[in-house]
Amino acid sequence: MTIDLHSLMAPYALDALDADERATYEVHLEQCDDCRSELAGFLETSSRLGELEEVAPPPAMRAEVLAAARRTAQQRPVTVLAPRRLRHRVPQLVAAAAVALALAGGTATVVEHQRASDLQASGDKMTSVLTASDVRTSSEKATEGGTLRVMSSKSHDAAVVVGSALPQLDDDQVYQVWAMHDGTPRPAGLIGAKPGMVYVSKVAGADAFAVTVEPKGGSERPTTDPLAVTPVTA
Amino acid sequence: MPRGRIGRKGRDVSESPLRAVPTMAPPEAAPDAAELLQRTARGDEAAFAALYDELAGSVLGLARRVIRDPARAEEVAQEVFLQVWQTAVRFDPARGSAKSWILTLAHRRAVDAVRHDQAATNRDMAYDWSPGVDHDEVSETVTVRLEHEQVRRCLSSLTDLQREAITLAYYQGYTYAEVATVLDANPATVKTRMRDGLIRLRDCLGVEA
Repeated sequence: MTIDLHSLMAPYALDALDADERATYEVHLEQCDDCRSELAGFLETSSRLGELEEVAPPPAMRAEVLAAARRTAQQRPVTVLAPRRLRHRVPQLVAAAAVALALAGGTATVVEHQRASDLQASGDKMTSVLTASDVRTSSEKATEGGTLRVMSSKSHDAAVVVGSALPQLDDDQVYQVWAMHDGTPRPAGLIGAKPGMVYVSKVAGADAFAVTVEPKGGSERPTTDPLAVTPVTA
Repeated sequence: MPRGRIGRKGRDVSESPLRAVPTMAPPEAAPDAAELLQRTARGDEAAFAALYDELAGSVLGLARRVIRDPARAEEVAQEVFLQVWQTAVRFDPARGSAKSWILTLAHRRAVDAVRHDQAATNRDMAYDWSPGVDHDEVSETVTVRLEHEQVRRCLSSLTDLQREAITLAYYQGYTYAEVATVLDANPATVKTRMRDGLIRLRDCLGVEA
């Protein structure tokens, strides 16, 4: 049995999904261009329901909001937008995937977006995890901002690991995902800053996933402290 | 979409005798919400303040509608504007209006606050969530409070189940599963009705998808 992800769009637009389904749907959205454009119309519609009543805010609120903004840093721009980013990054990912596969040494098979024609296949594999009836979601906030989210399926023996809104890295750095087996990290793929996701197979025995910043191409072992360690929900 | 229409209620320029006064700036001269939001993304505090002036009433109105508790609603409205300040760079005018973007943020925060508070109350009181609401009454109350003529007209063009599914979710913050419980309907049916209803609303409101 699988969840029909398409059926979640309207409830998503009305904020009528629970936290797990919302997270699952948002990952699906990253891969589905058609969904994003249809969703835009749904959100424009649902927000019209929200602009029916105005309440004059107390005068003090304005000063408080402006003062709070003054002492709060703003998010920095992402240089290339999400859907386009994936295609621009393809050559870099080919190299990254090759290194990751070599390093993985059979302990974890890493599937990256190696060629345009592989995009669909990889998307299908991710979708099969996301729609599995036994998919479990967990997430952890990263120390420097952003989130590391893990969606895993026992029946598929696979996981999709997603880093959302992680800080922008320098050109010579990457985010690397690690499958943690009883405290021992095994390479599980490289991801972009936002939205970065990787499909990881053969995850039996992994009790958590971690993400670290590594030099371009990835490392055999983590060379920096993890920004986040997200346990796998049993 | 007529941006800022509610905010300019009562001084419709086309009907105002002041229209002939040449020194009066035409409405197009004022920067619209999208421009203010894009300037906000570049750290422009004055643009952010203008955006607040334009939309704070709507954001607080929506938060009140969903959360009900006025103090909590104010808290959430402030969080929404701080989030707007922080994440303005993510706004993409190609994917919708600035007002919709901000109200979408506001709605999600309001719904999350209601659910969070409800969960805390349930824990404190060891009390199981149960519908206990006459859905007809809820739907009625929401419907009669709507002020916006076009949205009200479009909502009335929906089937009863479409309208109830959408208003319970949007104004009460119910998940579709909770809506299904309250309406004694199949969750899959509720999702379908939400979709059909949103499509009908979208077309009725003339939203360009």
